[in-house]
Amino acid sequence: MMVTRLKHRTVVFVGGGFTAALAARQLTAKDVDVVVLERGIDRTHTAATSLPSQRDELRWDVHGDLFQDWSVQTYTLRHNDGETALPIRRLQAFKPGEGMGGAANHWNGQTWRWSESDPILRTHLENRYGRKAIPAEMTIQNWGVTYAEIESYHDHFEKLFGIAGKAGNLLGKVQEGGNPFEAPRQNEFPQKPLPITEAGVIFSEATKKLGYKPFPMPAANSPEPYTNPDGMQLGQCQFCGHCERFICEANAKASPEVLLFPMLRKRKSFELRLQTHVLDILYDRNARRVTGVRYIDRVTGEEYEQPADVVVLSSFTMSNTRFLLMAEIGTPYNPKTGQGVVGKNFCHQTMSGTRVFFKDRWINPFLASGASQTVIDEFNGDNFDHSGLGFFGGGYIYANVTNGRPITSRAVPPGTPKWGAEWKKANADWYAHNFSITAHGSWYPHRENYVDLDPIYVDAYGQPLLRMTFDIRENERQMSVYLSKKIDEIAKATGAEIAPPTAPRKGPYDSRVYQTTHVTGGTIMGSDPATSVVSPHLQHWDAPNLFVVGASVYPFNAGYNPTGPLGALALRLGDDLNDYVARPRRL
Amino acid sequence: MTNDRSDKTFHPNRRGFLGVAAATGAASLAPGVLMGTAGLAEASESAPSQCVDASASTIASTLPSPLPGYLSLGPSEAGFVEAMVNVMCPADALTPGGVDCGLAAYIDRQLAGGFGKGARLYMRGPWREGKPELGYQLPLTPEQYFKTGLSAADAACRERNGAAFTELDESSANQFLHEIAGGKVTDERIQLASWFNELVYPLFEQACFADPVYGGNVGKVFWKAIGYPGLPAVHSQDMVDFRGKPFPGAADPKSIADFA
Repeated sequence: MMVTRLKHRTVVFVGGGFTAALAARQLTAKDVDVVVLERGIDRTHTAATSLPSQRDELRWDVHGDLFQDWSVQTYTLRHNDGETALPIRRLQAFKPGEGMGGAANHWNGQTWRWSESDPILRTHLENRYGRKAIPAEMTIQNWGVTYAEIESYHDHFEKLFGIAGKAGNLLGKVQEGGNPFEAPRQNEFPQKPLPITEAGVIFSEATKKLGYKPFPMPAANSPEPYTNPDGMQLGQCQFCGHCERFICEANAKASPEVLLFPMLRKRKSFELRLQTHVLDILYDRNARRVTGVRYIDRVTGEEYEQPADVVVLSSFTMSNTRFLLMAEIGTPYNPKTGQGVVGKNFCHQTMSGTRVFFKDRWINPFLASGASQTVIDEFNGDNFDHSGLGFFGGGYIYANVTNGRPITSRAVPPGTPKWGAEWKKANADWYAHNFSITAHGSWYPHRENYVDLDPIYVDAYGQPLLRMTFDIRENERQMSVYLSKKIDEIAKATGAEIAPPTAPRKGPYDSRVYQTTHVTGGTIMGSDPATSVVSPHLQHWDAPNLFVVGASVYPFNAGYNPTGPLGALALRLGDDLNDYVARPRRL
Repeated sequence: MTNDRSDKTFHPNRRGFLGVAAATGAASLAPGVLMGTAGLAEASESAPSQCVDASASTIASTLPSPLPGYLSLGPSEAGFVEAMVNVMCPADALTPGGVDCGLAAYIDRQLAGGFGKGARLYMRGPWREGKPELGYQLPLTPEQYFKTGLSAADAACRERNGAAFTELDESSANQFLHEIAGGKVTDERIQLASWFNELVYPLFEQACFADPVYGGNVGKVFWKAIGYPGLPAVHSQDMVDFRGKPFPGAADPKSIADFA
């Protein structure tokens, strides 16, 4: 096929989502030439962002019109090396986005910093529990950068996104009302916390009774109209319950399509090329450099080569890894030998929860936003002593009410028939009177969990699908049992009429069940080229003009949502790229 | 049971149906498409609404008619679906029967539309049976799968019960659906439990609770039943004012059509 070679550019981003927009903000502020290639469209002023169609649960949630189109590209799954992977024909387990803004268009806005110990997790656990305490198959490693080194980027990111919350630790001083386990912050959150929900009131009372310290979840749902340091504005959150899986029509959910792309598109050195599907990263093996990318224009069907000085992979976790495997940049991970790095340490999020039902309390689940939640952090990360527990990691536990959407968020007490008059009555009796108490748990890497290229199945362009060899292993199963017991104690303390026991997460890993969109790993960061794909500056070890950003660089997944550190890492990458473009070298 | 004239003209078998069953003592769930509609319509005219309590018929009389006609379903398929949704959603104080709620119309429109034709579904081979956790693995579009399963379920029903599904009384039909959902009814080529639980049942729930613009949940009847206030949901003050209290908007939900 004829491929048209385009004019050379300085920096090309593959994927126009959250991380690309933040890094491009830094670059274009210094007038560095940037092109962002995004396979989807700009949904501003479309049905997705207009009333009343924005509130259509069937279209955006059930049918997933904002998500990656599985008919074009999906993933295959097997639970271990001995099985043949099959394509997940309609994936429910996580929801990658498509379009300007990527998955950050349809996020809930739950915006955490991770623990101070997370970037140095292996060192921290070895110091506290001894070197032998970490099982050989648990391939956790340090990031190669410390929390203190990225704190100012967290601070910057929170101001750009107008994060609402209550500080729990200001410069080492624990603050009443915030998260006492929080990593030290230089500043209070830029906005006050969201108002508490009724579920939050009940959860607070119950957890305080048990001696815990509940606090409001840090939120990218703006409680007030907000103007960020760039002069970009957020509207006021309407608590409509249409955050996750929807784009906020009130511009009240901090997202790249509201705060970043409209500003970037006015900058002279920035270009966004929509409906362009990148096929290949072009790699000169002898020179150990990438030379650009090849893409297909989804409007005309024509193919183009875009030469560039620097290529940044800023697509979803899965695609970042797949691009490297297809271009054969770096050594693919081999679970039998433990050698190789690309595709290593693939992780997800260990979720479990129960529902508490109250006859006389009005929960009104529809009066909520994606992050208007109340949380405890006592059982997250290494905030509690793991001696003798048989697992590492943990999660936050929260009153999980983000919406009252009636198709997917309704719940009835266990034992209710699945249909019929009794089912209808149970829905009428309990719809407004229950909420979920959930543990949002970490997922640490396991030697046998990884991704590679599927040998059989291909996408709509004839390229191999990414294959997950993946299951929930002993560490996460035990952790889930532990967290589920804690949930049950809290559920009991709420005084709910009905509080069924929490079912801990068990295998096999189920593609049919949504478990957050927080898949991580595959192109992990670290200080040692033998055990990481990119350096602590997110620079590829085998091609210094190639950078990778996204949750694919996390060496493990914490019990916190991944967005906060990603914002910090993406801003820092932008500064690093400015440095690199001025003087190309190993950073 | 109250029936207005325009309603009967389009689908005489529907609202009259439960009344007919009670009046004739047949207690059959078969809708008119299979049995001939004229007699049923006539029977319903004079039938007292013995099996439906007063509040149910009040709800039915105030609701708009479901979308008339089918785009995807043929007569016998429609018969099965109508009988099924009337069993899964019997007329009671909360809602009229499933057909009157638009549930059959919803399912038909979904099968005829993008979802039914396999939109957003990865449809490349090779095709192999897999563990349940890997999800759907057949080379059929959802519309084809729905109908293949329907036909297999009806064949299994004749074998087990000596009668077509539409000929069962309400309690036997309900029991048969539970047997399918519980994996007790098998077919050589279709796993009927996963067909029902992963395709049919989600369509049923969506039919009840999706925006009425899609053909189900007519008159927002299910939203009213549970107290979901619908759209556009501008709650920044409500969030504070109605924390822990009944929300007045729940009594009068708004849907997409209310803003059209």
